[in-house]
Amino acid sequence: MTIGPTVAGGLKLVPEEDQDWVVLLEIAKDGDGDLSKRLAGLMDEESLWEEMIVPELEEEFSRQRLEVVTAVIKAKGEGQALHIDKEMAEAWYGALNQARLELEARYRFGECGNFAPDEIENDAARAAFYRSDFYGTVQSLLLRYVMVE
Amino acid sequence: MGGTPTEAPVRKSREKPLAKTDRPWQVVVLDDPVNLMEYVSRVLARIFGFSREKADELMMAVHQRGRAVVWSGAREHGEMYVNQLHGAQLHAKLERAE
Repeated sequence: MTIGPTVAGGLKLVPEEDQDWVVLLEIAKDGDGDLSKRLAGLMDEESLWEEMIVPELEEEFSRQRLEVVTAVIKAKGEGQALHIDKEMAEAWYGALNQARLELEARYRFGECGNFAPDEIENDAARAAFYRSDFYGTVQSLLLRYVMVE
Repeated sequence: MGGTPTEAPVRKSREKPLAKTDRPWQVVVLDDPVNLMEYVSRVLARIFGFSREKADELMMAVHQRGRAVVWSGAREHGEMYVNQLHGAQLHAKLERAE
């Protein structure tokens, strides 16, 4: 996959292999977890976070993932590159972040420090590590080229 | 009617000592291995209106010490800020000031 900034201030993702589309479709799947409930766990019971805030956050997080998966399916169906403009950037960043947060919650890569991904024996964990790394790279590019202040 | 004389009632002072419940609340941002440093700075600047220098300083405190108090005041107001931080997917909580 080739990724680069566009003159219009967006980001263009050009999938070159079937595997690239698979990874892009994984963003929404990886991000589908219980982030809002984990965040609520940081609050005390008095705050009524579970009842008042979690449904609102779940709706927002779900909207971000849906926007991304819809864009990927559309581009794949048309055999086109993906364009992320300023309007879509926040949803993409949020969906990628959710995916990385969920993968971290599942595999705890952050606790491993600096290590070679080849040393991860579990195939699913190793694949998740590479996806998480890729998602983080796209996030950095979004911050640098699209979500410019 | 009658009875034994009683002592004059003691007027209570209107000024109460600072009770535990009077202490302000503080919004604490916690470190996590996922959120990018640049993003955390931007979120702090956007939500609290900090300068980039101040936001960077707090972000580094979160990164190096694992947590940083970014605001203190009334509980209701603090909950609003934590709500916004959670919306930005940052790990944040509300706690009593020490």
